[in-house]
Amino acid sequence: MIDVRELTKRYGSTLALDGLSFQARPGRVTGFLGPNGAGKSTTLRVIVGLHRPTSGVALVNGRRYADIGRPLHEVGALLDAGAVHPGRTAYDQLACLARGHRIGSSRITTLLEHVGLGAVAHQRVGGFSLGMRQRLGIAAALLGDPGIVLLDEPVNGLDAEGIRWVRDLMGTLASQGRTVLLSSHVMSEMALIADHVVIIGRGRLIAETSMEELAGRFRRDTLVRSPRQGELAAILRGAGASVACEPQGGLAVTGADPATIGDLAARHHIPIHELTPRGATLEDVYLDMTDQAADHRAGGASR
Amino acid sequence: MTVMPPARERALSPKDVVAAEWLKLRTMRSAWWIWAGAATYTLVGLAVIMMHIGSYDQASPQERASFDSADPAVAVMPIVAFFIGCLGALAITTEFSTGSIAPSLVAVPRRVTLLAAKTVVVACVAFASGVLFAGLSQLAALLLLGDRPPPVNPWPHWSDAIPTAAGTAFTTLVTALVALGLGALLRSAAATVAVIGALTVVVPSLAHLLPEALHLRVASVLIPNLAPQVAGAESAYLLSPPVAIAVLTCYTVVALAAGALGLSRRDV
Repeated sequence: MIDVRELTKRYGSTLALDGLSFQARPGRVTGFLGPNGAGKSTTLRVIVGLHRPTSGVALVNGRRYADIGRPLHEVGALLDAGAVHPGRTAYDQLACLARGHRIGSSRITTLLEHVGLGAVAHQRVGGFSLGMRQRLGIAAALLGDPGIVLLDEPVNGLDAEGIRWVRDLMGTLASQGRTVLLSSHVMSEMALIADHVVIIGRGRLIAETSMEELAGRFRRDTLVRSPRQGELAAILRGAGASVACEPQGGLAVTGADPATIGDLAARHHIPIHELTPRGATLEDVYLDMTDQAADHRAGGASR
Repeated sequence: MTVMPPARERALSPKDVVAAEWLKLRTMRSAWWIWAGAATYTLVGLAVIMMHIGSYDQASPQERASFDSADPAVAVMPIVAFFIGCLGALAITTEFSTGSIAPSLVAVPRRVTLLAAKTVVVACVAFASGVLFAGLSQLAALLLLGDRPPPVNPWPHWSDAIPTAAGTAFTTLVTALVALGLGALLRSAAATVAVIGALTVVVPSLAHLLPEALHLRVASVLIPNLAPQVAGAESAYLLSPPVAIAVLTCYTVVALAAGALGLSRRDV
């Protein structure tokens, strides 16, 4: 369980985190979303004690990270897959981290095979692709069999097969009762992986909700095309629907479902060329939310 | 807002953290290159000593009477100490340049513990290297000098070479620990190596440009010049062995404390 309370982090005149609070609970995958620069990495670094918050606190199972006696058995983190010594082999890379916790070589070998790096275990990391480094970073995060897993943009650089592998792995970890918190700036990735989402923008919480609830916020309308568009619009408005003209032609109708629109048109003998129910994608919802946050801040700055 | 007081949890064993740091240093190829550099320079220094003895043999008796001594503590060890200092610096600056400091601190969140473990590893490697290179170069110098008399022979008896070797091994150790502390503070290999180069090579040379009285006062507290003073060897410098040891200890403590403070206070 991760409990982030009122975190604020100021770098000089920049406010990277602004009173951010959220929780990541065991047994589910929590997606940590926000545009680049929203403060996701800063938050994760505060959680594991690399950055000191200006105010507020991040608790790991009720206490600060630095107070955990043997942290790798409690928290596994992948913060930056590139943060490795290029001259070390994959095996040595993990061994350097594992040695302090007395995690043995059989665990390292098993994990390297588990993440698909068994064949290159004794090759230098310098020659690894970003995808391979991500896999190595995930192996490092799992070294101590931790109950909490934090991953910063874990699917960056992975191919389609790798992304599916991460998705399945995260699902498995959560189903074992672990707390999984993973950040991304791409909504579509999260839509498939996460059960719960925390969305931040400019260091502030925008939404903390379940993926289902977020999907329920879809803005719905119907696209209607007709050669007698003006007449149809008037009739629909008369029936209480709101109608907007689409830039590419056609009417965007809300407040009337496709059946009602069709019936109304038939009654007035107006031909219909297209009738398409539309839902905003999760991506649109997310972009909307984060745009608003950005606008809000931009407006605030110019005041 | 309530935060639970730190529970007393079974912490990592210091021995394991030291073992992890030793593994890190051992698996860092640049460390081996630097060590090989120190070994190579020992050979270069011995070649210089050999030529020095050659020119002594061809000199007139008057010239011989004022000949510089063929002392590896002067010709070899300051540069070897600089190499080993670089090794001490890299033990931490490499973590910053590659970013691996982040996973390191995620595994060992108590930063002073991490620096202490690095200190133990660097101290052992530096002292062992100092003993090795000082011992070998002095042994070689003894063999090359044969029964030539002072002043070209710095040691009237072979056993007189031992305190000097111990003194240079000690200054090598101090150089490496000062480099580690500065590396933790500065976080940059280039900056740290520049400062160590200044402390061990540049400033001692420039000090000769000072007026004689001032030169001795300044030169006496410079790390490489403290080696003969620790050994109690005959030199123009001013400090007694206990004071020289105290000055070297000060260098080490100040640099490591500054490093610990810088590492603890600043974000990673």
